[in-house]
Amino acid sequence: MKIKFKWMALAMLLATFIISGCSSSGDAEYPSKNIEIIAPATPGGGWDATARAIQNVLDKEGIVEQNMNVVNKPGGGGEVGWQYLKGKDAHDISVNSSLVIANNLLGQSELTYEDFTPLAILATEWISIAVPEKSDIEDGIDLLDRLKEDPASLTIAVGPALGNNDHLSFVRVAEEYGVDVSKLRFLVYESGGDVLTALLGGHVDLATFSLSESLEQNEAGNIRVLATTADETIDGIPSWQDQGIDFTFPHWRGLMGPPDMTEEEIAYWDNALSEMVETEGWKNVLENNGWDNYYMNSKETKAFLDEQNEMYKELIDKAGLGN
Amino acid sequence: MRFIIPGATILISIVYLFLTYNLPQAHVGDPDAAQKYPLLIGYALLVLSVLYLISELKNEEKVREAFRIFSDKELTIKVIVVLALCLVYTYMFEPLGFLISTIIFLGALLFLINGVKKWLLNIIIALVFSFATWYAFAELLQVSLP
Amino acid sequence: MGVDWGSFAEGFSTAIQFENLIFIVIGGLLGTIVGMLPGLGPATAVAVLIPVTFGMEPTSALILLGAIYYGAMYGGSRSSILINTPGDGSAIAATFDGYPMTRKGQAGQALTLATLASLVGGFIAMIGFVFLAQPLAQFALKFGPAEYFFLLLFTLSAVVSLSKGNMLKGFISMFLGLLITTIGIDSQSGVYRFTFGVPHLSEGVDFLVVIIGIYAVGEVLYNILLLKDDSYRIKEDVGNKWITKEQFKRSFWPALRQSPVGFLIGILPGAGGSIASMISYSTEQQLSKKSDEFGKGAPEGLAAPESSNNAAAVGAFIPLLTMGIPGSGTTAVILGALIMLGLQPGPMLFQNQPEVVWTFVNSLFIGNIALVIMNILLIGFLIKILKTPANILYPIILLLAFIGTYTLGYSTIDFFILMIFGVIGLFMKILNIPSAPLILAVIIGNQLEQNFRMASVSYDSVFGMMTASPIAIFFVIITVLSVFLPMLLNRLARIKR
Repeated sequence: MKIKFKWMALAMLLATFIISGCSSSGDAEYPSKNIEIIAPATPGGGWDATARAIQNVLDKEGIVEQNMNVVNKPGGGGEVGWQYLKGKDAHDISVNSSLVIANNLLGQSELTYEDFTPLAILATEWISIAVPEKSDIEDGIDLLDRLKEDPASLTIAVGPALGNNDHLSFVRVAEEYGVDVSKLRFLVYESGGDVLTALLGGHVDLATFSLSESLEQNEAGNIRVLATTADETIDGIPSWQDQGIDFTFPHWRGLMGPPDMTEEEIAYWDNALSEMVETEGWKNVLENNGWDNYYMNSKETKAFLDEQNEMYKELIDKAGLGN
Repeated sequence: MRFIIPGATILISIVYLFLTYNLPQAHVGDPDAAQKYPLLIGYALLVLSVLYLISELKNEEKVREAFRIFSDKELTIKVIVVLALCLVYTYMFEPLGFLISTIIFLGALLFLINGVKKWLLNIIIALVFSFATWYAFAELLQVSLP
Repeated sequence: MGVDWGSFAEGFSTAIQFENLIFIVIGGLLGTIVGMLPGLGPATAVAVLIPVTFGMEPTSALILLGAIYYGAMYGGSRSSILINTPGDGSAIAATFDGYPMTRKGQAGQALTLATLASLVGGFIAMIGFVFLAQPLAQFALKFGPAEYFFLLLFTLSAVVSLSKGNMLKGFISMFLGLLITTIGIDSQSGVYRFTFGVPHLSEGVDFLVVIIGIYAVGEVLYNILLLKDDSYRIKEDVGNKWITKEQFKRSFWPALRQSPVGFLIGILPGAGGSIASMISYSTEQQLSKKSDEFGKGAPEGLAAPESSNNAAAVGAFIPLLTMGIPGSGTTAVILGALIMLGLQPGPMLFQNQPEVVWTFVNSLFIGNIALVIMNILLIGFLIKILKTPANILYPIILLLAFIGTYTLGYSTIDFFILMIFGVIGLFMKILNIPSAPLILAVIIGNQLEQNFRMASVSYDSVFGMMTASPIAIFFVIITVLSVFLPMLLNRLARIKR
């Protein structure tokens, strides 16, 4: 009887090979099978939320006919998920952000953004600089003047890791103003929420974190947002540009596919995603998350990523994080 | 026998200290910042382990008593086989997929622990339970399984 | 600030709407079931069930997610008590005396006791929530790196001091745990430590994998070694569901007085249920006249941490709803879900949509009662698990441990870690090395280091850190007391003799 069991297992094994072999060998029109959207993070995080929102909108609005599943592949700041994507065919796409560029420059990954097929940039958040309500720092320029005088005079909260956009964007603006950025004192908290707590409790002098996390506390008068990296004034909060520093810094989110996607496959996603960003459902997602529309098609995305790569390379060196 | 555990912790702390001294320097702030805390832990563990080793010298009888649990050869071998099966499962999990690898793993464990005589029950449990967990996790909870 | 009773009443009437009652029951049941599985604690339970809430009314979604969270808190201790396998950090302390009760043939009573203690904790915390949410949220903000560091240090010392007469082993266990937490990126400097080029390790070892390894896998391996030893079998007789008068008497006060402790710790962002239940357990042991019965199935040793961690779960909602700050992993996931649904928890929520907050608080009240009823009804069914022949139960527990682990990181690398800690757990059990210090160190070790490092940027010396605020001084003092007081008392007792 034990032998029979073995045969059964073997038969089942064969059956699955045959089934999986069939579905991938057909030359049918793309997409020809279920689509996997990779969230390189655990359920509940930002990337997971983005992936599920995309799946939800594409499915509900009937833009993509095929079944779509969100797959969680967390670890290494996207590394695990993107390694997984690299070995897949065009039926897998992944959510990404500037980490796909920064990880490699920080020496944390062998993968570069050029290993993948860029499909789109979808949305962006802006990053804010805030101080506790009682702080005597008046505005963005006052802050930079103080740091220029003594870069180690203020403690700066950032989370969850050095080398992220919140950190680098502040390094960039300080650097442009002539601050010795290698002497800045950063305290690294576990999450944006912890950064906010530290700021509310007055345990740090200033914090750099996403505007969507600081906006409401600013409105309630518990903290003061001094500047944002946006290209315009948002809810009465001046951007760095408004304060005379020529500088914007988006914290974007996009989609990419595995290497070597065909023209048709890329065109399919250009169509689908350009349609998606116009829907009410997607606009709701943007509004709820405090994101701005930042759509770029695959071609624009490629040019944008090249440009971003240059910028990050320079920035990471200056922050002292390069290898 | 009685040196196994303190010996192991001493070894762990020495290897750990060695690795700590070879950590890369930080580029931001104090270059040694990332090493100080691991060094503290490493040395503390080393000192405690040595003290433990000394105290175990006095407890020879107790330790021997505790290790008597391995005296039954058959059961000791079973535990080793269970661990080996776990290892096989780890390597099968992604290539074979959740369902097949789990049926094999659970089936093998049941044959080993529940005995070959109850083969029918073992097979039924392995099949039913594997399908049930697969259904619960992959379908109901939408957890992505290989 | 007084309580807005108008909104409170309005919230109550919304919460008892039929639709919302159904959500409470369904959420509670789903949470209980998911929470019972090894490795699947409240955070995972909520995260995997979020897609269910898409398209729901935000208030109903909040009620459902709250009920799932709550249910998972109730469910988490079930597996601790029955099979010595905590589903989450906050359920660990339930294994200390809950599992020994099961061994003694009191599984039914242990489950009832844990359920009732949870109810006490939940109720007291909710009363605290209604009256004190805003001022307590302000109090929690006073905790900076120095204060956190000393709170964490106190927790560690309290737990190590549990291993009476065995302090050396306790400390070794703790330092091993701390060592494990240095694996991964060091956030203050960005340096990769002990990752050996494995990207999965850059975020460190998940403490739940360690817990499942040491408890579930270790316990199964240990049991296999004793398959022929009938004296180690769990008693077939699983006992009465109803707790005895003596058990009630012994647990009532501990459950009652540990609830505020848990509640206050739960409010602190980043602390939460595991720290609350450990502190409650160790203080009860210090206070008890029968402290030598702890770890051998003392009812108060189960009731105290259970009431405390449930109170902490309610406390964790305070920073979330008043400031938009998630105080725990689970509330972080709930925050993400609420944002997706278009509800922004934060300082404006109490002012702009008070009815949402009060509906939710009322739903917690109702949910707690519903959960107690459901859980007591479930007991009869649950103890049947124990009647499953051990030979079949162990392979299944082992399998569940692997699946639970996979859902934590979606990587088979964690399987190796699971096995390593399974073997470590086996040896710790054989040699009677306490595992609680290791587990606790793994849970809080990283926070301990990072807070210390941040505090040393803000303060020049360790002394400056210790005197940073009255809170810091308080924790320094009780830390010293927790280590030396038992020693001193021991000495005194000896001299008397």
